[in-house]
Amino acid sequence: MHELSMAQGIFTTVIDTAEANEATEVTKVVIEVGRLAMVNPEQLKFLLDVIKEDSIAADAEFQINEIPVEIECKDCGYKGEVSLKGLDHYAPIIRCPKCDTPRITILNGKDIIVKNVIIEIPDEDNNN
Amino acid sequence: MHKIASVEVEQNIMKANEALAEKNLKLLEDNNIYCVDFVGAIGSGKTSLIEDIIENVDERIGVIAGDVISKFDAERIKSHNAPVVGLNTGKECHLDAHLVEHSLEDMPLEDIDWLIIENVGNLICPVDFALGSHMRVVVVSVTEGDDTVEKHPLIFQTSDLIIINKVDIADAVGADTDKMVADAKRLNPDVKVITSSLKEGKGLNEIIEVIKEHKPDNL
Repeated sequence: MHELSMAQGIFTTVIDTAEANEATEVTKVVIEVGRLAMVNPEQLKFLLDVIKEDSIAADAEFQINEIPVEIECKDCGYKGEVSLKGLDHYAPIIRCPKCDTPRITILNGKDIIVKNVIIEIPDEDNNN
Repeated sequence: MHKIASVEVEQNIMKANEALAEKNLKLLEDNNIYCVDFVGAIGSGKTSLIEDIIENVDERIGVIAGDVISKFDAERIKSHNAPVVGLNTGKECHLDAHLVEHSLEDMPLEDIDWLIIENVGNLICPVDFALGSHMRVVVVSVTEGDDTVEKHPLIFQTSDLIIINKVDIADAVGADTDKMVADAKRLNPDVKVITSSLKEGKGLNEIIEVIKEHKPDNL
């Protein structure tokens, strides 16, 4: 199950970030998942909610933003977003929106990125 | 009291795999090794094809046999006197560059010219994970149903050779081989689509030719 290894990779990044910044708690994590990354965002969120238990991210909200697909067409040179509206397949056949060829390079939309980690850190001014 | 801070991380989980794949590729090239990885569903004929290639190519071939339990495929390859490293993925549905990196530690790199990596039987998950090979070959058999190619576009769009296998029994399983070939060509017009029946030796020479043609000149 592939979402589990992805979730573990994300979780490690979150905890490393929290520790490096001496966080006492992680409150929110913003993750970007490309529309063509071979993971299901719902499953990913479910697994993150399981993994986070008993950690400093136990109460964190994991927000997953899906990012659109960008391509470069090998035939007509079109560079930009491709709408996946109307395609029911989770891994649809990507074609150039201008000339309809499948001869394209995917520039964006396959990645999984940990964007932001929102943490609580001790307030240094608070000495009393 | 605590204060809230937002830390910009921008850590790309997939890039870590890509960086490791590049490291694997460099290690292989430093040892003058040509690397091909095979993907395809369970029972598509990947292991049989690899056995045939070992027997019919005049190069020293090593194999990384990835599977949820790899010893069965590894034993088959071993019987051809090729160095083989079995890679148990356990619960994982695909190989990644990290697993391959560790397998390379057990491969006698100085004794091989080609490295073949057999991925876990799966047409979905391996798509996102570069391993460090020069070429990816996808094997699909007619027994999987003639809609299999169009249902899994990304793996066919990202492969360098498409093999439609077991065409000798297409009629018996009610599969339309021509449709599978047409779907494959529509998805990836730039690569060869070869129909084969490894049981009858059909298509094998052509497959070997295409794999040889893909080898970079400096290796």
